[in-house]
Amino acid sequence: MDTQSYLPVKPGVGMEENFLSLDDILLSHERLPIRTECSFPRLGFLEKSSDSHDIPEGTKMELPLWLSKGLYEKKRRVLSVELPKVYREGWRTVFNADPNVVDLHKMGPYYYGLGSQMLHFDSPENPEIAQTLLQTFIGRFRRNMDSSQNAYNEDTSALVERLDCLEKALFSSGQSGLNSFQSWEKGRASQLTASSLVLNYRKRKINDLQP
Amino acid sequence: MSDALSDDGSVNQDDSQEDVMTPAELIAKLEEAWLNEKFSPELQENKSEVVECVMEQLTHMEENLQRVKKGDAKASIHRMEIDRIRFVLSSYLRSRLQKLRKFFPHVLEKEKSRGEGDPSLLSPEEFAFAKEYYANTETYLKAVALKRMPPNLQTVDMLKAVPEPCLDSFVFLRVKERQENILVEPETDDQREYVVDLEEGSQHLMRYRTIAPLVSTGAVQLI
Amino acid sequence: MFCEKAMELIRELQRSNEGQLPAFNEDGLRQVLQEMESLYEQNQTDVNEAKSDGRSELIPSIKLRHCCLLRNQRCLTAYLYDRLLRIRALRWEYGSVLPANVRFHMCAEEVQWFSQYKKSLASFMRSLGGGEGLDITQDMKPPKSLYIQVRCLKDHGELEIDDGTVILLKKNSQHFLPRWKCEQLIRQGVLEHVMS
Repeated sequence: MDTQSYLPVKPGVGMEENFLSLDDILLSHERLPIRTECSFPRLGFLEKSSDSHDIPEGTKMELPLWLSKGLYEKKRRVLSVELPKVYREGWRTVFNADPNVVDLHKMGPYYYGLGSQMLHFDSPENPEIAQTLLQTFIGRFRRNMDSSQNAYNEDTSALVERLDCLEKALFSSGQSGLNSFQSWEKGRASQLTASSLVLNYRKRKINDLQP
Repeated sequence: MSDALSDDGSVNQDDSQEDVMTPAELIAKLEEAWLNEKFSPELQENKSEVVECVMEQLTHMEENLQRVKKGDAKASIHRMEIDRIRFVLSSYLRSRLQKLRKFFPHVLEKEKSRGEGDPSLLSPEEFAFAKEYYANTETYLKAVALKRMPPNLQTVDMLKAVPEPCLDSFVFLRVKERQENILVEPETDDQREYVVDLEEGSQHLMRYRTIAPLVSTGAVQLI
Repeated sequence: MFCEKAMELIRELQRSNEGQLPAFNEDGLRQVLQEMESLYEQNQTDVNEAKSDGRSELIPSIKLRHCCLLRNQRCLTAYLYDRLLRIRALRWEYGSVLPANVRFHMCAEEVQWFSQYKKSLASFMRSLGGGEGLDITQDMKPPKSLYIQVRCLKDHGELEIDDGTVILLKKNSQHFLPRWKCEQLIRQGVLEHVMS
């Protein structure tokens, strides 16, 4: 595509995060269950259930991924991170049985992203988690690709509602490929069009006028 | 695409020892560079000599067109030809500019670490643009936010912040010169690396990283 | 929790679909910077105490606050950078003069960045081909014909074409014009390309 339009910074691949990616910033805001392995003096107010001055050692609480990642150290135990339920053995069995039945939007929506990030914390279950992530993706990919290539000019909300963020992005890139192909086939690819931004701003203007 | 050009002999006006290129060859070169640039994840070496020649050629064609009488059917065919060449040229320059803006810290870094005799990645005007773009963006971030932050947080390493081009992405290619023993990295843990031969005229889908050197030598063409 | 304000800025951008530019959130920015200042001050106090009184048990809290500082720095940088990407796209969509309702959403420094960007782009285009110059914001799609049928979506006034003819672009009027004359006007939503 020969486009100069707005393209956001893409999220990182696998265990990587891109510093400037809005998607990655949102993903790293997901909360993880943790247990403190030392005390955090003068920060008691962060833990709502207590009114003590400090966060004592052994407190179970939730912290966002970015903070857990920042505090986590392999050598010195500052905190231990528990696996969110969807990555534990019970759910892994379900995913392995039939990845197509699970609603990854509800369970995610960053199922793959967060799962890959969990590999930063040295859990003995890491190989199994990675394996399940990969198999789940492969198991769902075919259906996702098929539906993105066949839904032309129709409401796709039912098709995407159970998809994880990564899958949704793939679905929409499939859709845009399909749409460009169709418009080329109809001889419309050479039609000059107004920029989508211009159209949007105009729409907004019209909305503003309505009482 | 080059029929309309052939009324003029060669592009190279000064008869030095340089290779003389016909207009048809010149346009083929431009198309080659254009497709490679469009489909490769990273910036290719600049082809400013091709750009300059094509622009010269366009001017020349415009001048020819002025002399043709109005309403001559040949004129509109020539006009169309000019438009088409100008589109390819603009599109080529646009996709380079897009990568420049997307990867500016890395492009500049690569240019800095380039060896004495190595060909330059950027044309002089691209280099000027990239440098200005870097400075402008850095100044902006400083002025709005960074200089108002605590002293130890007033800089952001642009090389780390702005993502690099993804050389592992897959590209389609056509082989122009036969290649032997191209090493292909394994995709999964249970695969091993292996070697392939690329036959002339065959087409493949491969990781860009594997064949990047062949793109710059012209042995393969991205499609 | 810390850094919630910074997240608000990020969500605000994420909600503005298709590259639209929401109003610059000066207030949000200031609140994040304030939070950073107080985190920094608190850390200075604790670092001094840890050093002078040997209170190493303060270190985990110092580290936690430092993580929050870095997070805020990242969020603000990403917020500003993403806005630049949106503003940059506008140059290609609207040409070099932005409509007032877009400019209204930009802060002074963004306006400055944009005008510098325009300057760089212009001098880049001017210097192409050994100083001959080429406007690469034109010719966005491969040409299929020299002339195209267009309809005016609004009154635009007069337009002069190559041979000196002047045409009045009146709302709902249709014209058969050279494609390259219309490209920008179509992108701006003044003309509509009518396909037969």
